[in-house]
Amino acid sequence: MATVLIPLLQGSSATSGNAAASSFADQTNPTEPLVIVVNRSNPVNELSFDELRRIFLGNRSHWPNGRRITLVMREPGELERKTVLRDVCAMNEDQFKNHFVHGLFTGEILVSPKILASPVGVRKFVFNVPGAIGYLRVGDVDDSVKVVRIDELLPDDKGYKLRMQIQLAN
Amino acid sequence: MNFSPMTRVTSFACRFSWQIDLTKKIKFETKRRSHYPMPLVDRWLSAASRHNAVLLLFVVCCGVTVIGALVIRDMQQANTEAQRMYKSSVNGLQEIGELQYDAQETRRTTLYALTTTNSNLQVEYADQTREADRRVRNGIAEYGRQAKGTEELALADRLNRDWTAYLSVRDEVLASILEGSTNEAVNLDLAGGVSAFERVRQDLNEVKRLYGEDASREQASLAESSRRSSSRMVGILSFTFLLSTAAVWAIQRSQLMGRMQLANLQMEFVASVSHELRTPLSVIRSAADNIADGLVKNMDALLRYGAILQHQSRSMGELVDQILLFASTEDRNKRVSLQPLPIEQIVEMVLSDTESLVRDSGFTLDLEVEPGLPHALGDLTGITQCLRNLVGNAVKYGGPDRRILLRAGASAPRENSPGEIRISVTDRGIGIDPSEIAHIFDPFYRSPRVHASQIHGTGLGLALAKRLAESMGGSLTVLSQLSSGSTFTLHLQISKGDNIQITANEGRQSRMSLT
Repeated sequence: MATVLIPLLQGSSATSGNAAASSFADQTNPTEPLVIVVNRSNPVNELSFDELRRIFLGNRSHWPNGRRITLVMREPGELERKTVLRDVCAMNEDQFKNHFVHGLFTGEILVSPKILASPVGVRKFVFNVPGAIGYLRVGDVDDSVKVVRIDELLPDDKGYKLRMQIQLAN
Repeated sequence: MNFSPMTRVTSFACRFSWQIDLTKKIKFETKRRSHYPMPLVDRWLSAASRHNAVLLLFVVCCGVTVIGALVIRDMQQANTEAQRMYKSSVNGLQEIGELQYDAQETRRTTLYALTTTNSNLQVEYADQTREADRRVRNGIAEYGRQAKGTEELALADRLNRDWTAYLSVRDEVLASILEGSTNEAVNLDLAGGVSAFERVRQDLNEVKRLYGEDASREQASLAESSRRSSSRMVGILSFTFLLSTAAVWAIQRSQLMGRMQLANLQMEFVASVSHELRTPLSVIRSAADNIADGLVKNMDALLRYGAILQHQSRSMGELVDQILLFASTEDRNKRVSLQPLPIEQIVEMVLSDTESLVRDSGFTLDLEVEPGLPHALGDLTGITQCLRNLVGNAVKYGGPDRRILLRAGASAPRENSPGEIRISVTDRGIGIDPSEIAHIFDPFYRSPRVHASQIHGTGLGLALAKRLAESMGGSLTVLSQLSSGSTFTLHLQISKGDNIQITANEGRQSRMSLT
């Protein structure tokens, strides 16, 4: 999967067709797709962007096969987390925290997200937990996890909404 | 006291009869020896002692070396087998130990994940349990590959199934722990994990038990092999001990036989020499007594007595000379000065030396000398002494035909042979038994037939002749047929620079007879 995605990454541009995404993206900086991954035993292959938002906000607790959904997040400050909060949850860090504290308190949300320090940790967590869902850069994806289509698009497809800006080193 | 000549003769006869008694006594001793136990062994040992006891030692050493090599090979095989079994046992125990440890490690690290809520640590524990699980699966697969017999194969299959069943529970427990559902994880483990792991544990104990039984069988086999090896070694050592003992006994017996033979030969020699010396001494003493007692009154009788004294004293002198000469040839390294000698000179010398002997014995000596013979390389005294002994023997054992043939010839040099001078003495006498041919050149050896025939001698003549021939770089050979006669041939080197010129046309033998 990584070998397929990397050439696409080089050819990708900031000219996304999605208005919501493009509104956050700096048109002058290159972007990289963020891959949504689930356990290989998970029957789900595709999610709509709205379903993805509901999952990441804890509003959906179980998969169609009855497995509890376990959300896997990177630590605050990581670029991937920022991108998900910005593009998927449309929240900043504080809003996201408050959302979950409130949800857990009221019982609307059953489980708080699991925080992993590294992309490898995310990948291994998703591999070990059948109901886990997380996000990885293209280069961190391997066969131990399954990539989920978002709005019927794979990360290397044109129009894929979930992209993060690459910080260029000066 | 006055004794008549008849009295003297009687006295002489008495003394002679004493000598015969002594001879009989010696013969009696010889006869007793023939009743000695184990005659075959003694004959063999006697042969060994005559040739070389070192040969016997060599054979024994070879035997001991071969046996030693067998013992060492046996020990090496036993050692290799023990090493193989030890290594196999250690490796097997180690593998089973590692399998048990990794199985425990798989379960332990899974449960470690319960001790923290840190997802990063939990993922690390998950990694560890999966790594241990991978090692266990490899171990089970290896056990399945090495399984022998239906019982072990069935156990490997069961272990694999039970381990897979445990892993499915373990995966659920692990997922629950990572999800943060600790209670659910514990419940899952209690419901299925504990019993599944217990089955795995029992399977591993069964593996250990089967391995222990296998090791016990191998240990018993090793003990049996060791016992067999020890028995074989004891047997081989016993055989070696018996062989060595037998060899020592044989060598000692061989030496004893050699010493006995030498002692007998020396005794016979002393008896023979005594007899040979006493015979002329008795005649001399009788003649001297008669002269001293004034019984010899006229000149003719005195001259006859003088001739007897001269002849007998010369015989004694010759005998003593022969003994001394034999003693002097004991040193085989002694060098003899060799010089080219014309055959005619040698033949003339021999004829001159043996003329009186041949004549007095009533023999006829025929001479055949090939013309144009080259010079022989040798010592004149040695050659004539050698031939004189051969002619003397021919006279002694020549038989009633009383003819002796002295023949001189040569063989031309060939590719493999430098050529040689051959001087042979042939008689038509009693001949030599084939079984005695090998011994007639031994010092002091005298044939039992000769003893029986009361033919006197010291047993030194042929031994001395052979030594003389060899001291000149030549040799002495014999061809004999029982009751038909014998031919002794002295082989001498041809002097360098002398060419043999023998052809059928010009070669005409000169013949003469001496009576």
